[in-house]
Amino acid sequence: MDIDADAFYTKLEHSDVHPTTSQPSPDAFAALYKTLLADPQDEVVGLHISTKLSGTLQSATLAAQEFDPARIHLVDTESVSGGLQLLVRAALEDIKAGENAATVAANAIRRRSKVTILVLLDTLTYLHRGGRIGRAQAFVGSLLNVKPLIAVRDGEVVPLARPRSRSKGIDMIVQQVRGCGPLRSLAEFHAATAESMVDLEARLGAAVSNVTAVLGRIGPVVGAYSGPGGLGVACLGAD
Amino acid sequence: MSATKPAPELAVLREPLREIGGEQVLAGLTAALSWLEANQQEINDLNVFPVPDGDTGSNMYLTLRSAVEEARDAPTPEAADSVLAAAAHGSLMGARGNSGVILSQILRGFAQGAAQRVNLDSNGVALAITEASAVAYRAVMKPTEGTILTVVRDAAAAAAAAAGTTDDIRVLLERVVTEAHAAVERTTNQLQVLREANVVDAGGFGLAVILEGFARAVGDTPPTTPVPALLRRSGEPALRLPPNPGDMEASGSSAARRGAAAVAPREQGWGYCTEFLINGPGLDVDSIRTELSALGESALVVGDPDLVRVHIHTGDPAGLIAVASSRGRMSKLKVEDMSAQHHDVLMRADAEEAEAEAEAIGVATQEHPQAPPKPIGVASVAPGKGFRDIMTSLGADSIVSGGQTMNPSIEDLLNGVRAVNAERVILLPNNGNVILTAEQVDPLAEDCDVRVVPTRNLPQGISALLAFDPGASIDENVERMQAAIATVRAVEVTHAVRDTSVNGHDIKLGDVIAVVDDVITEVGSDYVEVIDAVLKAQTEKPELVTVYRGDEVSDEDADALVESLRGTNPATEFELQAGGQEHYPYVLSLE
Repeated sequence: MDIDADAFYTKLEHSDVHPTTSQPSPDAFAALYKTLLADPQDEVVGLHISTKLSGTLQSATLAAQEFDPARIHLVDTESVSGGLQLLVRAALEDIKAGENAATVAANAIRRRSKVTILVLLDTLTYLHRGGRIGRAQAFVGSLLNVKPLIAVRDGEVVPLARPRSRSKGIDMIVQQVRGCGPLRSLAEFHAATAESMVDLEARLGAAVSNVTAVLGRIGPVVGAYSGPGGLGVACLGAD
Repeated sequence: MSATKPAPELAVLREPLREIGGEQVLAGLTAALSWLEANQQEINDLNVFPVPDGDTGSNMYLTLRSAVEEARDAPTPEAADSVLAAAAHGSLMGARGNSGVILSQILRGFAQGAAQRVNLDSNGVALAITEASAVAYRAVMKPTEGTILTVVRDAAAAAAAAAGTTDDIRVLLERVVTEAHAAVERTTNQLQVLREANVVDAGGFGLAVILEGFARAVGDTPPTTPVPALLRRSGEPALRLPPNPGDMEASGSSAARRGAAAVAPREQGWGYCTEFLINGPGLDVDSIRTELSALGESALVVGDPDLVRVHIHTGDPAGLIAVASSRGRMSKLKVEDMSAQHHDVLMRADAEEAEAEAEAIGVATQEHPQAPPKPIGVASVAPGKGFRDIMTSLGADSIVSGGQTMNPSIEDLLNGVRAVNAERVILLPNNGNVILTAEQVDPLAEDCDVRVVPTRNLPQGISALLAFDPGASIDENVERMQAAIATVRAVEVTHAVRDTSVNGHDIKLGDVIAVVDDVITEVGSDYVEVIDAVLKAQTEKPELVTVYRGDEVSDEDADALVESLRGTNPATEFELQAGGQEHYPYVLSLE
């Protein structure tokens, strides 16, 4: 069954069944590599979601064993969602600049420690149910309404703060982004409605003026864990 | 002072009292305790704010009681220094509330001044009082005049002056007591808040009562009472004579009559000091207090719907226990025959059970004590089950029961800190009157670094807990928590316990009053009106208001209140929680 993102979030909110996510199979990677490596001059750079959150890289690594290891460069980006997106964009810029595959992969590894991902959740329920809670476990069980602010650091979910309102949470995001120093790029994303981003965009835009934010939506795979209503920011520090 | 004073020649006619030893010091402290006990309620009522948190008398009484209990077991009972050192230690462990902590420092100073002396002469007594004053002043970061500190300092000055002219301790103590009472009288004009409420300082009066009791017993002299118009608003003499015939002489005053009436049940001695806990849930503290008070004297019944602490003197402990056990499961039962100098424990609940219960109620702990200590944890003070549960859900490792009118002792807090089982513990007092007690815990907690984040109310405590990060260092956490408490405004809503005028508001008994960050800002006749006025008065409109309903407010009433507030404050988000606190129907946090 295929559904669009809106339908997915509506279903996520109202269904008792928590969706499960699954990494692509090694076969799928093998088929892809076969196509990509058809020309003997070509190489593959694979930038993948953190191994602490997903088995995707595992599948890719298995598939790669059937090919020439020198032509496939796989990277654990220790990142996810908007953060992964920023690393991919930077890699594309490297390729455009004429870097070879090994350099592109090495640059991604160097840059991954400069990625900050912050997500303001409406609730920890989905992260908890989906088994990706990590150290944010400490935030579970609050009898008060809080909007947990989490970060993805070294590939893992870590708790940052428990603001009581979305507005306070956005203040904290802006503060954290400011603390990241000069930025190469910035992404803002949400798992709700585009309107929910207006406040974040405005306040972040005022605080960080030298880069233009890429706007996006949290895809259903990550959205299954962040839950509806979540919004976040990823930023990549300057090289 | 226009009151009847003993004629000066009375003292002159008697043999001068040139020395006192351990027995006399203990007799003096014991008498001071019964004087304080007789005046406990009077001191409680000397509350600047007309809010139901007047507990200075109870706090001082419990502190001194702990001192006397330990002094009775002094290793060298005939030596003054030994008795005083024991009293000082006992008072420290039992200290409750700010006045209790300062009293414990006064006793510590007194003990230091008497160190190495088996007997005290008049110079020794003067030196001890002087040291008591010095130590008390050092214990307070910003000493305020017009408080217990002023009274102890003026008393010390009188002692020093007297020691230069007489070697009769009886005369010296006479002057000390006279000066202490005069100093208490002066407090009204030394502090703006006291002048406005037209009362004397409660802690200062408590100290004068203690000195009076001590002097009467040591010097075997009649009281200087009645002291007129301490409570000017009622026009009644405030000083109550203790109902112990050895400590007073009969006089025709109404206070003495009250005292004499109270002597009656004690004809066979002191009766039994009975203490226990009643375990809830659903306890009606007020009705328990009314019922039990009728069965004895000096009843101290405090607690919340989950746990009530009872301390009462009765001639019939068995009858009392029968009544109490019909209210709920009893634990930590202790009955002492007060006529015996040493504690004859007649009954004691099975020790293990009592321990387990105290653990479950007094100090709720999540961590098994045998587990290796974790690097950092939080102990938090909370009244009522609701706040306990919320704080636990936010990551507090141990909860110490207490709050308004039931301030935990230093020992209670120390036990709470130990229950965290961590190398470093952040302690949240969550009440302005518990901060000073909390600050005494660190030196007593061996192998544990205890830091106090001075949360003055429950909303601040919750904000501090929300900012806690178990992965961060203690310094970072203290900083985060300090910053967090600055972002929340606390509104405490209660009823006035008497007529008064505070902050330009004319307040009548029963009025609904809102205390915003320790200041009475609104007065009215119903909750919605008063809370709405507080919200309207905020220059920066709060985004979120959390309403914690007290244990006397029903869910329906609280829902209706919140609905009504939503209607008049559409831009603000409201959240309703069951706090379970006593005395304050509503506590709100504005963020």
